[in-house]
Amino acid sequence: MLVALLSSQYARFSALAEAWLAQGATAFGICQDERPLVYWPAGHRLAKPSMVVPIMSGEKELGDLRVAGLSGVVYEQRLRADAMLIGHMLGLESELQLMTADLVTSQDQQLALYRLTQTMRDHVTVEETLKAVVSEAVRMVRSQIGYAMFVPASAQDPQLVQQPANKLAEDQLWRLYWQGQASEHELNINDAGSEFAPSGIKNLLHVPIWVRGAVMAGLGLVNHSGGFGAPDIKLARAIADQASAQIERMLLYQEMFDQAKLRTEMELARRVQLDLLPRILPVVQGLDIYANSRPAYQVGGDFFDFIQAEGRPFIFSAGDVTGKGLSAALLMTMTRSALHSKAQFMPYPTPEAVMRQSNEDLYNDFTRVGVFATVFVGQYEPGSQKLLYANAGHAPVIYRPHDGEPVLLRADSTAIGILPVNPSRNQVLRMAPNDLLIVATDGFSDVRDPSEDLFGIDRLMELVDRLHAGTAREIAAGMFEEADRFGHGRQQDDDQTLIVIKGAAS
Amino acid sequence: MDMKTRVAGEVQVVDLTGRFDTNTVPPLAAWLEQVTSVPGAHVLVNLANTTFVDSTALATLVQALKRCQQVKGELFLCGMRRPVYMIFELTRLDKAFNIFVDEEHAMQAFAN
Repeated sequence: MLVALLSSQYARFSALAEAWLAQGATAFGICQDERPLVYWPAGHRLAKPSMVVPIMSGEKELGDLRVAGLSGVVYEQRLRADAMLIGHMLGLESELQLMTADLVTSQDQQLALYRLTQTMRDHVTVEETLKAVVSEAVRMVRSQIGYAMFVPASAQDPQLVQQPANKLAEDQLWRLYWQGQASEHELNINDAGSEFAPSGIKNLLHVPIWVRGAVMAGLGLVNHSGGFGAPDIKLARAIADQASAQIERMLLYQEMFDQAKLRTEMELARRVQLDLLPRILPVVQGLDIYANSRPAYQVGGDFFDFIQAEGRPFIFSAGDVTGKGLSAALLMTMTRSALHSKAQFMPYPTPEAVMRQSNEDLYNDFTRVGVFATVFVGQYEPGSQKLLYANAGHAPVIYRPHDGEPVLLRADSTAIGILPVNPSRNQVLRMAPNDLLIVATDGFSDVRDPSEDLFGIDRLMELVDRLHAGTAREIAAGMFEEADRFGHGRQQDDDQTLIVIKGAAS
Repeated sequence: MDMKTRVAGEVQVVDLTGRFDTNTVPPLAAWLEQVTSVPGAHVLVNLANTTFVDSTALATLVQALKRCQQVKGELFLCGMRRPVYMIFELTRLDKAFNIFVDEEHAMQAFAN
């Protein structure tokens, strides 16, 4: 320190020496540890000084000033004043050096924090982010070990990373996390007691990380030479803030991703469902037929199908598989295919036989996944004016004879997938001109108005009675319209599917 | 929907209040899965205060019934209001389940 000051302020020391020599001193010099650092005139080693005064900086003696050839109280006082001045200068110099060092460190830290934000942007998973945070924190704060953890609000597993890996016992780190979570403040243990000694922890700093207004993560640094001071805590907090922002960004990204995935799944389910519905309405002598299905946002498992082949009776089916989304759409496909193939290829495909066979095909799979399907199968010989049907748990089905009140047709057996053997029986309906059969799904009867009131079966029957004079298409349009009106534009809870069959003059 | 579970002797009972549909099914499904997996389980679902059931709710009950049958247990339903009973009737689920007018009758049936 003294040497550095001498070299930077040599001219001033030289002027001081000149002044002493002009006063009559034979020599003037500065020594440290009994060794002369500099002396005037050159060659004089000041072996026998007449006055020696220490240069003090605070309590510490850094060297001394020596003069030869002069003595006395006045000279000694002046030499002492010179030594004090030099001591003071040394003090200032040392402060300046500390400030410069601080400035350099802070610049380094700012740079490192900037780098941290840059590197964290590249990470898309929580684990990668935690690793990056720990690695940068260990480097910047200069600790031996670092760790970070995140506890998601959802049921996902909490995550913990350490650097170096597996250095510390995980349960101990989780205890620190919960402690930090409860106190919401950093935990600075500068003299780790016996609790931590077996893990090799000498001192420790744990900083809680706030995510979306709650402590959901933590950053810890272990073993810093001399313990963690105020600047270390400040720096660790800055790193924790960066981590918090990054975790929040990532959660947002994850949520957007999940939503997009759900939208895609819904879209896919809707496409599966719509693509499988018949695009052309069948033309059957003696019947006026219309059918349509409107999938809800959360697609359900509704379907309808027509099977028409040369020389075979006309068969139609409508149904609803329990559940929502892609799984319901897939099970609907299975059910529809089972019914379709039976109706198309069985030698005598009566509704009862189609239903029994399909139940046999589907029962085990349906039991395994815990669903069932309500199904209505109808069969019509052109011109016969008689409709044969089997109803496995399907509702609502409404029949309105041209000369009577609408009646609700009860199912003749439980839905497909409930019992190992389906006890369906063929039922007969008259289908003379203007007799009307409506096979709807519960998406109609379960429509709710803004005050949660259900549309219900009674309203549906009244509606059918009111609309019965129209064509099949007009009746269906009127029913969809009424369901919309009742729901006041509220989002559909469930698919709405409708087959309207009206007896026509053959 | 509000769901309250209790134990009456050897019978696991759940009381359901309000709408029982897709949105409210999960907690009941979880409870049913637990209680109907025990061999010889006796489970009673009391629907006295249930105002509505949809197809997902019915599927949950059917699944529980099948599971119960597999472990040689029994699952009964009781106390249905008219609109709810109508759904069971219409879909013929009244043939698949043992349905009792009230809890007392259901308990007697368990006892026998």
